Amino acid sequence: MACNHTLLHLQFPACAEHMAVVRQKLREILSAHGQPADETNSVVLAVGEACMNIIQHAYGPDDRGDIVLEVELENGTAGEARSELIFRLTDFASRKTCAEQLKSRPLDEIRPGGLGCFIMQQVMDEVKLLNCDKPGINVLQLRKKVQT
Amino acid sequence: MECNLKSGAGYDLLELSGEVDLQYSPQLREKILGSLRSGAPLLIDLGRVSYIDSSGIASLVEGFQAAKSAKLPYGLLNISSTALQVLTLTRLDKIFNLYTDAAHFEAQL
Repeated sequence: MACNHTLLHLQFPACAEHMAVVRQKLREILSAHGQPADETNSVVLAVGEACMNIIQHAYGPDDRGDIVLEVELENGTAGEARSELIFRLTDFASRKTCAEQLKSRPLDEIRPGGLGCFIMQQVMDEVKLLNCDKPGINVLQLRKKVQT
Repeated sequence: MECNLKSGAGYDLLELSGEVDLQYSPQLREKILGSLRSGAPLLIDLGRVSYIDSSGIASLVEGFQAAKSAKLPYGLLNISSTALQVLTLTRLDKIFNLYTDAAHFEAQL
């Protein structure tokens, strides 16, 4: 049976100025759990993109609030060498995030912007909005298989 | 992020270091577009960039497009491994002109 361990629970204001500290915390926990540097860099990038989407598109310029980032390690069943890292990002923006906003644009269009969702999808094994009954809460979950 | 623009030798050299994210990408965009508006070819040194996200990449792409419109040479120099990882992931490593030596950029001026 799978078993989850919480690695990080962090609440921070949804603004660009806080992201360097969040990335540093992520690097520390991923390194402490033996993730290789390349893997750590790409996962930190993808989670950073998810936070940036919340800052720019969920809260936008007219709304303010926090982001809650929870990181869990889900160990595989006995004998399995693979585990999963689960990143759950909760925001409290009045704007509801919809699945359409998580689609990436075609890469053959060379133009600035719109790459954040593509990066998340490329790096992670799953990018999913969780159904949330409560209004004013968006929960985005990212899952990444890792070797343990 | 630190952003240092040097003019001379027939082109502008923009040296970037540190983390290029949403907090700093507007500043990067202004530096790039400002340099191109002056009519100088632009080479951007990414050798000391420890992190760059899609907002930083968007500034580089906007510069690429502005340079193309103005018919100005535009290139990226000494791409750090973390920056190269992002460029490769987004397949922009095939779009930008990448250099390991400024002399190769200068030879095209």
